[in-house]
Amino acid sequence: MKYVPTIGIECHVQLCTKTKLFSEVDNDARGKEPNSCVSPVCYALPGMLPRLNGEAIRLAILAGKAMNCEINAHSRFDRKHYFYPDSPKGYQITQFYEPIIGEGYVELPSGTRVRIEHAHLEGDAGKLTHYDTYSLVDLNRVDTPLIEIVSQPDIHSAKDAHDYCKELWRLMCFAGVTYGDLYNGNMRFDVNISLAPEGSDVLGTRAEVKNLNSFRSVERAVEFEIKRQSKILDKGEKVVQETRGWNDASGETTGQRSKEEAKDYRYMPEPDLPPINLSAEFIAEESAKLPMMPADYRDKFKGVVADDILEILLDYPSLMSKLKEINEKYIKGVSNLFASVLLAEEKSAEYLNDLPSSEDLNELAEMNEKKELSSTATKEVFLRLFDPQMKGRGAKNIAKELGLIQENDLGALEKIVDIVLAKPETAKAQEDFKAGQEKVLGFLVGQVMKESHGKANPSAVQDILRKKLK
Amino acid sequence: MEIKREDILHLADLSEIRLSDTEVESLGGDLRDIIKYISQLDKLDTSDVEPTYQVFEMENIWRDDTVLEQDATREQLLALTKNEKDNQIKVPKVL
Repeated sequence: MKYVPTIGIECHVQLCTKTKLFSEVDNDARGKEPNSCVSPVCYALPGMLPRLNGEAIRLAILAGKAMNCEINAHSRFDRKHYFYPDSPKGYQITQFYEPIIGEGYVELPSGTRVRIEHAHLEGDAGKLTHYDTYSLVDLNRVDTPLIEIVSQPDIHSAKDAHDYCKELWRLMCFAGVTYGDLYNGNMRFDVNISLAPEGSDVLGTRAEVKNLNSFRSVERAVEFEIKRQSKILDKGEKVVQETRGWNDASGETTGQRSKEEAKDYRYMPEPDLPPINLSAEFIAEESAKLPMMPADYRDKFKGVVADDILEILLDYPSLMSKLKEINEKYIKGVSNLFASVLLAEEKSAEYLNDLPSSEDLNELAEMNEKKELSSTATKEVFLRLFDPQMKGRGAKNIAKELGLIQENDLGALEKIVDIVLAKPETAKAQEDFKAGQEKVLGFLVGQVMKESHGKANPSAVQDILRKKLK
Repeated sequence: MEIKREDILHLADLSEIRLSDTEVESLGGDLRDIIKYISQLDKLDTSDVEPTYQVFEMENIWRDDTVLEQDATREQLLALTKNEKDNQIKVPKVL
């Protein structure tokens, strides 16, 4: 039978605040020793009071606006109870009843709209590493601010699941609320998926695949679940509602122990944190700080930059904001240069850590436009603009130093052409050309290029040769 | 509200604690007494009363996002745990 998948996704985004959500301890544990970014609040020592980080509220507003969401003027925190070694408190502080971010939507590049049900602020848990007979607990991640984004079940294919996660990642990166480092778990996805027979208006039983940390694993996990659940349904059996884990190496999901299914979190209002009441002015003021989003760039560059090129560049927020500073008539050329580097060069992302200045890029594009640089030479200078040894010198100087500037002075070019035509070794080619042999023109142009040490503009040379050999 | 033996066992399970039969009995008795006491509130008509989430009329207590030197060191905090290894807290294997 043919089945239609229905998919909803929950996404946890780590916010890039300087301090944790509930205490003034360093939130950036990258490359730091285990348990070195931990305060007595993270440790849940008796009597410790959480103190809310105002920056997390500001970032939550930006994240909400990036997803076209309502920002709720009133929100508050709750305790979600569970016992596990990753949480010394015995509960997670989250927003269960009144979250800060309300309804909204994310539009995928394909035009599909995925509605956002809500998103809320909460503290992350610690990290467990498992060994043969014991587990080790690192609490550096405890109380790192997260927003959990809950989508409506508006996704119906593995590709759309992939694209939704990728678009969320872009939105959060462009909004500047996260480092967006997927490898280090800055964004994690839980995927709920069920199948129903085509045409049915009743949803099937869902399975939840937890803790996916790449777009590709989201896509593969959905593909696997569609196959797995189809087989079960085809046999007339029932899908079990359960949490499943993903094994990236085998490309399979597996059921997890049912004990973890006993979801009874005994939510209660967090008495240590007073509620958040945001004025309309504050929300408007903070919302206005939202920079241009991917959809804004798609509008702005429509018809200027090819769609496929733009989608490549949209993975790099810093690059897009650089393009904004480029002279409008050069945007297409500069976009193509970036795309060619990103597609062709190894370690392409490293190129983007330290981008050339917009002055250099404009200067380079102008030299290309004036035919002072051939397209090959333009790309060569472009690459040098990323070279720490070269970049400070400016595009024009680099082009000069490398001897790449084309001779466009027609008077000077004519002199060089005359020198070449006066050489006995070109006499035969001249005769042949006059007799109608078009292809020897290439030989003559080559001779002129050689005489000019490669600096002549070949198309200008061709024009002069044609005129002189008429 | 009735508290059954299964409810006590369920709560113990959620809290990851093991109870002896006598503890299940005595804790069940305690819990029943507590709930009976609190249940007196059910006699009040609260249909027009907003739920109370906190007793202090405070709101928007935020702080700046600035890292402060911590009073407690990692060593002091780790010293509070039963077992440690490689600057981490060592616990029985959980999955």
